[in-house]
Amino acid sequence: MKKKKGIAANLADKTAIQKHREWRGGRDTAYDYLQWCRLWGILIKWAASHPVQNVKAVWRYRWMFSYLTVPSFFDRLCEGQRGAGLRGARNNLNYLASDVTKTLTTIFSADMHLHPGSKKAEELNKKIICVDELLPNLLGKGFPDCKMILFQEYPMYLPSLINQHSPVHYIEQSEIYGLPADVCPLPSFEAGLAIEDDFPKIGCCMLTSNMPCDGSIMTTMLQERRIGLPSQVLNVPLRWKEEEVQDYAIEEIKSAIAFLEEHTGQKFDWDALKEGCETWNRQNECKFEKWDMNRTDIPPHTGSSAWLYRIFEHQAVAGEPLALKNDLKVNKILHKQVAEGKCPKTIRHRAVLWNTPCNNYANFNNWLLNCWGIESVCEMIDIHGEDLIDTSSRESMLRGLADHYQTSTMRAHTKGGSEVMIDSLWEKYEEYNADMIIMFDQISCKGVGAINGLFEEGALKREIPMVRVRQDLMDPTSITRREMRNDVNVFMQSVMGEEPIDPSLVEFDDDQSW
Amino acid sequence: MKDLKHIHYYEQLLEQTANELILKEKEDGGVAVGYTCYYVPEVLLNCGNAFSVRLRAPNTGSLDISQYYMSSFICGYTRALFERAFEGGMNFVDFYASSDTCQQMVRVVENIRELELINNPRFGWGIIDAPLKISPHGNKLYTEQIRDHLLKPLAENYGVDVSDEAIRAAVREHNEISAIFEEISEMRKEDNPRITPREFHILCLVSYSCPNAQILPYLRETLEDLRTREADATNRWRARVVVVGSELDDYDFSEIMENARCYVAADRYCFGAFPGRQQIPLTDDEPALDQVCRYYLETNQCPRFMSQEKIMQRRETIRDLAREYNADGVVIEQAKFCDFWGYERTLNTQVMQEEYGLPTLGIDREYVVRGSGQLATRMQAFVESLEIKKIRKGGGEK
Repeated sequence: MKKKKGIAANLADKTAIQKHREWRGGRDTAYDYLQWCRLWGILIKWAASHPVQNVKAVWRYRWMFSYLTVPSFFDRLCEGQRGAGLRGARNNLNYLASDVTKTLTTIFSADMHLHPGSKKAEELNKKIICVDELLPNLLGKGFPDCKMILFQEYPMYLPSLINQHSPVHYIEQSEIYGLPADVCPLPSFEAGLAIEDDFPKIGCCMLTSNMPCDGSIMTTMLQERRIGLPSQVLNVPLRWKEEEVQDYAIEEIKSAIAFLEEHTGQKFDWDALKEGCETWNRQNECKFEKWDMNRTDIPPHTGSSAWLYRIFEHQAVAGEPLALKNDLKVNKILHKQVAEGKCPKTIRHRAVLWNTPCNNYANFNNWLLNCWGIESVCEMIDIHGEDLIDTSSRESMLRGLADHYQTSTMRAHTKGGSEVMIDSLWEKYEEYNADMIIMFDQISCKGVGAINGLFEEGALKREIPMVRVRQDLMDPTSITRREMRNDVNVFMQSVMGEEPIDPSLVEFDDDQSW
Repeated sequence: MKDLKHIHYYEQLLEQTANELILKEKEDGGVAVGYTCYYVPEVLLNCGNAFSVRLRAPNTGSLDISQYYMSSFICGYTRALFERAFEGGMNFVDFYASSDTCQQMVRVVENIRELELINNPRFGWGIIDAPLKISPHGNKLYTEQIRDHLLKPLAENYGVDVSDEAIRAAVREHNEISAIFEEISEMRKEDNPRITPREFHILCLVSYSCPNAQILPYLRETLEDLRTREADATNRWRARVVVVGSELDDYDFSEIMENARCYVAADRYCFGAFPGRQQIPLTDDEPALDQVCRYYLETNQCPRFMSQEKIMQRRETIRDLAREYNADGVVIEQAKFCDFWGYERTLNTQVMQEEYGLPTLGIDREYVVRGSGQLATRMQAFVESLEIKKIRKGGGEK
């Protein structure tokens, strides 16, 4: 029997676990291996720092199991990558691992579920501010003695990316409780965590928000009830393009600051905020450079490791000097490749990926490139927070923060009127010199689903090849990875009349994969 | 009971999105302002020669076209509105007053705008952003948004008088209609009420979807008729409930309740009487616009309001209505695919039962409920459970 060739030949049937490390040529394989070892170093350091606490956390929280599979997750996100792309991805991901492990240590050290009655944990909680995961925590820089934690990020968002099966149990719990099955899996997962009492019991207060959609508004109500922390809503306006709503946005932030001062007993430090905003501006400038590079013929850093890092940086580590250090390092690597004019990948198509990507198939971009040569030069989820914050005065910083919230992850396009999302797509298509669009049809996203036809007609009118890829954000039981691939396969074969670059990737079974 | 005066005429009016009273008012120079949500203050759309029409899509059949444009996971009401506009059934609308408060609802007007579905040279639209909690700066935003995006275009493009005096006149007219409904609502408190749930639902619907000036004379006569109307000798109602929930403009829902001999004592749903058919108090020491906007924001019962005091207000409103109208239980209904009411229905079905001691049924339903056997069965079962509870308490009738 002829030996199967291609990337899929290295994947175990159904679980898609790599049989051995991917061969990427001598230098790239060595770099990848060293970074993989660095990741293990980060994880071992974390596990060894509080061994009893961490083991208790794994036993207490079902979602913690997903974090044990992180090395495999990172391998998936780097699948097929070479050169600067690989280096950028590994550095970004390892920085992410390093920051997440630190935050997990803070969370578990304060968690009253793990340390019932502990005075030490109680003291720690007085300095922990919980915020809705879609509220960027840059505001927390103004409370330098406190730690602002994105409440749902660690039990929900990251696990949903790392292990596609992690949301299923919690979504089922929500549905057993009575929530309709048609709501978006993200708020449904959060509701399931609250129902199961699987959120860590931390913090002295909570800042909630209406970000990014109607489902998120409603799941907050359910979570607040279960969590029981003093809370306040930070109401971020929806028609964010309008100047008239900005005063309201600023007043809401002022009100949130007053609430946090009251519950933490700390005075808001405007100088610390200014420092944080300036660091964030430099981080953001690094991102602008990456976007510029991706507009060239040699897009050096694309895909999940880029957008996932962007989301994480915008939401969780905005204003962090270590994140900036990583950005500068990665940009240096990327610039070098662009300057050399080398493109280590086979790129047949330059695609704009629109709407939210699928969490349960975070390495979909890798598959697109490896199988069909479709390079994700621009992704909607990656494009947000495009303005710098003016730090010249308190008022200007508040205005900048208000904008930072209003143009946050997901909502920068899904809110502000349909024209924001639709017109921006055609603009980015031109800007990035793209030749096709991958449109994620997230079936439970009602705000975007309700303008499906406008996208279809717009693409038809402009004669842009647009493939619609069905997905359900983080529920693999609705639409599997295989079905997502099939949507692309059918389009590429029947509409574009093309043959795959790697035929082994056209059809394979990874339903049991993490 | 004998038929209620004008009830058949009302039914006839409700058969069309653009009914004869709307067309007549337009012939008389009225500006038809379509809207869909309590966030858009109805009373302000009735200033000067403008008149409000809460949009419906009666006799909705296939939703194939809207499914293509809006996907199949969108609430039936919004898809039906889109479909009706696509068919040309909304060409009478001169101005579409919308709010970016429900992402599905706002997409209707955006689709209409982008696809140019309204064949009316005067057609225009306005979309407001509205807060989801009560605060002084929230009131300010809400008032400014209404002034800039709704009243200003009405004044500038249609010549509608939106002055303080015009707003006060609109409030007076609104209060007259509301006074009629308040009196009729009192009749629902009777042990053997002289008005049926279906009739009340129809009255509410015509009052929302017909021009005030045109429908008011009929409503006055209906009230007169009700004042002297006598209920049937035998009380046929087995249970009394408060119905709470999302947009409900199909009065067949109330008919299903009637068939299960379940009396809807109070209606706390969109297109119902609570809120919407209460008199608005105005004082002379503050601009009418500010007072009206604050009133609508504070009385709004949309689950979109996520601050704790509004969440509690919603639950307490249900409890208070149940007490005031002697209800035995609560029915929380949700239009399928409505995210807001999907969560609210789930949570409050349990909260009202466990924390307020009110037997509560949660249901989801299609936009058109006519012929829903499943709904009828669930209502019958709920009524039986309420009866059993009454018997166990020893206060029920055999």
